[in-house]
Amino acid sequence: METQSLRIIPPQDIASTVKSVAKTANSFGVHDTFRHGLKSIEGDILPKHPLENRLKHWEETQTNLKLTLHRRIYGIHAPVRQLMERSIVSRVQRAPILHSSNLSLDILMGKDETIDFEDFLNDPKLSTEMMDMHISMEHKLGIKF
Amino acid sequence: MTTRLEQPKGGFNFDNYQRNVFLEQKGITLPKMTKTGTTIVGLIYKDGVCLGADTRATAGPIVADKNCEKIHYLAPNIHCCGAGTAADTEYTTALISSQLELHRLTTGRKSRVATALIMLKQMLFRYQGHIGAALVLGGYDINGPCLYTIHPHGSTDKLPYVTMGSGSLAAMSVFESRWRKDLERQEAIDLVKDAIESGIFNDLGSGSNVDVTVIEKDKVDVYRNYAKPNERGQKEQSYKFNRGTTAILKESIKDLVIITEGIEEMDIS
Repeated sequence: METQSLRIIPPQDIASTVKSVAKTANSFGVHDTFRHGLKSIEGDILPKHPLENRLKHWEETQTNLKLTLHRRIYGIHAPVRQLMERSIVSRVQRAPILHSSNLSLDILMGKDETIDFEDFLNDPKLSTEMMDMHISMEHKLGIKF
Repeated sequence: MTTRLEQPKGGFNFDNYQRNVFLEQKGITLPKMTKTGTTIVGLIYKDGVCLGADTRATAGPIVADKNCEKIHYLAPNIHCCGAGTAADTEYTTALISSQLELHRLTTGRKSRVATALIMLKQMLFRYQGHIGAALVLGGYDINGPCLYTIHPHGSTDKLPYVTMGSGSLAAMSVFESRWRKDLERQEAIDLVKDAIESGIFNDLGSGSNVDVTVIEKDKVDVYRNYAKPNERGQKEQSYKFNRGTTAILKESIKDLVIITEGIEEMDIS
């Protein structure tokens, strides 16, 4: 995404043309079917639901707009400071397989006093999906063996 | 089964979209969008806002509920009529109602109707009409009586008298002919009732009873089933069968509980 745009809503489709298996590759550099199931590049390329991309990038676009405006009004220090504070508080988290509420980040983002669909529909706290502790930790820290 | 690397995010899930597109290409007919029907209206009178709604809930050609509530609570001084997908209107108003409550707790002030309007339209715009909620928003705040309509894509109107839903044309014709500035309270209620009734009788998607909500300064009156123009008529004859119409050929009654006398030792082996 452009860093200094004044976009209010996300663009129609920001699909990148490069598809990669790097995220799910094993030590030999090929897709790890045992851990991640069958890979279908077709599924990555086919058009997604028109709302999916919009909702996925909504917050990012809005934040970007605010940061750009702050930059133009107050100078570069304002967004730098905000992003620094956000990155400090978002580092304090539970292990990636557990849910972290991250209240301090919510306060900085102005989301602590609102309620939205993601707060009560399909709540990740109630998710029954199994996650592998080691794989998700390796993914978080960018470690590959 | 794929291994997730990160915690899933809440909200809407699009996992099955590509599968559904694939199935549709292979010739499977997916369920059609269900046609919805409603009449909801609102008007501004001398010292307040009067909202009205019919009470029929339809699922395509079937009447799903004959006496549902379409006027939802948003805040003590704001109510909202909903047309369109029933669950969407219900959840949209419930969500905004919660947001307004949180907002009131933060600011310690009465909610303004414009605040509710902006929250609703921004939310509906984000979902691009996929949340099918067409709303009539009415309330009384420091700016006096306010009335708005909100369309599913997030566009809004501010008008002295509004109608929404499939019966909106019938209801609007009543308003167009009889609405004038500074109506009295009872005149306003009667006009809203007549508008909803014209929706009930001329639109197939609307029916049953009339709900009216009157919002004035520091006072809200909810008249549930204000008019019942579709009461079921009295049948001329009784079609109940008398006792003994069918002859009993034989009768046997069995006890399902067997009562035994004395104390039995508990089996503790």
